[in-house]
Amino acid sequence: MLKSKRAEYFAAAVLMAPFVVIYGVLFVYPTIKMVELSFTNAPLIGPGKWVGLDNYWRLATERLFPTAVWNTIYFVLLSALPSTLLALVVALGVNRLKGWAQSVALAAFFLPYILPVSVVYRIWDWMFDANFGIAQYAIAPLDGGQHLSVFRTIPLFMPMVAVVTIWWLLGFNVLLFVSGLRNISTEIYEAAELDGASRWAQFKRITWPLIWPVTVLVLTIQLILQFKIFDQVYLFTQGGYRVDATMVMVQYIYREAFQLNKGGLAASASVVLFVLIAVMSVLQFQLLRARAQR
Amino acid sequence: MSAIPGNKGGAAAPHVELRRVTKRYGVVTAINDLTLTVEKGSFTALLGPSGCGKSTLLRMIAGLERISAGQCFLDGVDVTDVAPAKRRIAMVFQSYALYPHMTTRQNIAFSLSLAGASRKEQDERTHEVARILQLEDYLDRRPAELSGGQRQRVAIGRALVRHPEVFLFDEPLSNLDAKLRVQMRLELAKLHATLHATMIYVTHDQTEAMTLADKIVVLDRGRVAQVGSPLELYNRPANKFVAAFIGSPSMNFLPVGLTAVEGGIATVALPGGRTARVRVGGAPAKAVATAELGVRPEHLSLVVADDANAALRGEVAIVEHLGNLTLLYVDTPAGQVIVEGPGNVSVRSGDTVGLSLREANARLFGADGASL
Amino acid sequence: MTDAALVSDAPPPAARPLVRLRQLDLFGAVVTLATLAGAVVWAFPLYWGLVTTFKPETEIVQPGVHLWPQNFTFENYAHVLMQTKIGLWYVNSLVTSGAVTVIVVVMAAAAGYAISQLEFPGRRVFWAMILASFMVPIPALIVNHFVLMSQFGWINTLQGVVAPQLIAPVTVIIYKQFFDSVPKDFREAAVMDGANDFQLLFRIYLPMNWGITTALAIITFIGAWNLFLWPFLAVSSEEKLNVAVGITQVHDAFGVQYGRDLAVAMLAALPVAIVYLIFQRRVTQAIMLSAGIKG
Repeated sequence: MLKSKRAEYFAAAVLMAPFVVIYGVLFVYPTIKMVELSFTNAPLIGPGKWVGLDNYWRLATERLFPTAVWNTIYFVLLSALPSTLLALVVALGVNRLKGWAQSVALAAFFLPYILPVSVVYRIWDWMFDANFGIAQYAIAPLDGGQHLSVFRTIPLFMPMVAVVTIWWLLGFNVLLFVSGLRNISTEIYEAAELDGASRWAQFKRITWPLIWPVTVLVLTIQLILQFKIFDQVYLFTQGGYRVDATMVMVQYIYREAFQLNKGGLAASASVVLFVLIAVMSVLQFQLLRARAQR
Repeated sequence: MSAIPGNKGGAAAPHVELRRVTKRYGVVTAINDLTLTVEKGSFTALLGPSGCGKSTLLRMIAGLERISAGQCFLDGVDVTDVAPAKRRIAMVFQSYALYPHMTTRQNIAFSLSLAGASRKEQDERTHEVARILQLEDYLDRRPAELSGGQRQRVAIGRALVRHPEVFLFDEPLSNLDAKLRVQMRLELAKLHATLHATMIYVTHDQTEAMTLADKIVVLDRGRVAQVGSPLELYNRPANKFVAAFIGSPSMNFLPVGLTAVEGGIATVALPGGRTARVRVGGAPAKAVATAELGVRPEHLSLVVADDANAALRGEVAIVEHLGNLTLLYVDTPAGQVIVEGPGNVSVRSGDTVGLSLREANARLFGADGASL
Repeated sequence: MTDAALVSDAPPPAARPLVRLRQLDLFGAVVTLATLAGAVVWAFPLYWGLVTTFKPETEIVQPGVHLWPQNFTFENYAHVLMQTKIGLWYVNSLVTSGAVTVIVVVMAAAAGYAISQLEFPGRRVFWAMILASFMVPIPALIVNHFVLMSQFGWINTLQGVVAPQLIAPVTVIIYKQFFDSVPKDFREAAVMDGANDFQLLFRIYLPMNWGITTALAIITFIGAWNLFLWPFLAVSSEEKLNVAVGITQVHDAFGVQYGRDLAVAMLAALPVAIVYLIFQRRVTQAIMLSAGIKG
């Protein structure tokens, strides 16, 4: 199409300007600075001296960071896999419902997703409250009649936070699965039915393969999402002792930067987090692309 | 942008002229060194099969496609590099491209509102157009609520309201069903008669071109095959492509051998043994071994099988009774031949018949397709 | 005749599907029941938290499970509304979420249009950068965002809370994809009618995609309302907190007050819950779109 180049460039400049400014100042610049900061021993605010790979060395050798990394991975495994599978099961059930029953069920599973994390925290903290929480009625018999402060019990902490997180975020996955299931035409099932396939066979040979791309998508979204976890872990360990044992990566960054005023070290941890997530994102992209080409 | 005289002769300068235009898409050349002119007030059809470049040409005139080489003139002014909106040209798209979120009124008035016309002027001109196209009852409906024919009229109205110098139509009837198509054809003809505006019309349907156009430009793979009035193209096709494309049912092509050429008359040998004598024009063809004889179905008539004057003999394969005429598909030594006969023909499938041809209306085509 | 050939050993075909049908019905009933039961279980925590807020504190700390308050009361809410800064937090949340939503939508629509429809130097580079920026986790940038905001003097201000939230590559990508899918005919028709790019964006492309704009605006608003980490870091004084962080700062002089803590939480959740229930379809659509990007 004939267009005046000048008019086009002008329009492009005006339309792109807000984005470029925001993106440049708030994204590109801080990212570059983050890498730069990771090579210094600067405090949170203020200059520091260049120390090369010193920070990274510290991360690798001191105990807390590897613990944080491990805790994060542990948490991701606890929440991403069950969350994905459970969501599929729920979606299979919800997909069978019709009309208002389906809407209500979907809303029930999805509503937690739009709650702020702090509200989720409050609800579950109350339910498991050591003194008066309703969950104690189920826990006490298992604990020899004793109430248990679940979130203060180190081995139970991560699993419980995972449970809370699954409750919070399942709706998102269910939505994606339901949409994926709807894309499978019922005619395929009818044909299988006529061919004499049992329900399990139908699931194994039709549903599972056809929903696999969605499964991979959901799983990888969860993996990447949970790696960045902070809010729930921080909230549930508020005012507690032995925060270190259950620390996660973003929490480590928070601690070093905002509590211990070690900007450079925090930045290096940020870079590690960044790299880990970038690698997973690339893997996700390749996985999905390979799948799509099959 | 200096004014350049349209042509050297004394005739009126063409309204639209494409001069030696070429269009390249990367390594592919879609249109090569093509020149065509459109006279003011005429209805010119660009006719050809898919891929012949007719839409590309139209879009080059509109300014929606860049011209790789050559020039485009509008009323003598070089507009090759002028933006579409400034060319005073309006286009009716094949899909109509009516803005779905606007009412008929808003669709029609859109160009005026973009130009900053006052509400009053917008309303006046919209109503004028709605009156001409009988859209007054539909002004507040959205495109989704209109029928195909109504949508088409809105698309025309959108073009009309701008009082353009040239109207461009890109296969506007192809989305309509057969009956509607006939109806809209009449409306378009009426519109042209009323407005006397220059209209350039792209179509692959030769019936549309034949019925609507003053002048038809037949295009074949990016080149002009022939330009002329409908009857010219019908009766004196310049090459086999045009001869085959125009006319329905299409012309028969009989492979013949050229035995002699003398004084503008060629004697050809028909398969099956007979000969025929056909007028040839231009440079007399030398004794080319083979050529093709083009005969239209209505120029063949049925005779008794053993008639001495029959040019061909064959067995009737299929008979199609259309009521006002009959189409017969006859297998002859020259291949299957279509014959048009009167409505009350009593011949049946399987019968052997003779065919006589009207030599005056037959044309010879050489191996390269050009008319001899 | 050949009727003998019609006789077969298989059971009459009519019987088999009928048996299957009955089995299916039973299975279907079980699944339906299980799903509905699951939905009830899933909704329980929210219900329980909600119902607790309507009980007086004395009832809350009593032993025994009461699914409905014995003495229905609004006193928790009354207390919270008057004694905490929740009114202020609401305003802060409204202002910051509103600002983020408006700025992000306008910026993303403009940029999405430019990348989709215009040709300019660097277009491909920008697009590649946007796609790549997915991989940068925003929580990794908190340190440098904090440094930057303090350099602007924006720590503990509303604009400081808003700024880092304006990074929204997903929104740009969604707009670009939608603008890509607008058939070229409309653009050409509008160009022939004399439209320039700004008119094209505001009078054709955006109006044809209002649904998207609504969906993206809603999801952006909800995300901004619920944000915890950044406002938590960037704001130090109680007056400037947003609602999501504010409710975690509620401390009572008399120790833990369950009813009030939960009441303030419910108030924090109320606006987004209402938005969701009204705009369910749009929210769903927006989620599908953003997940589609990642896939």
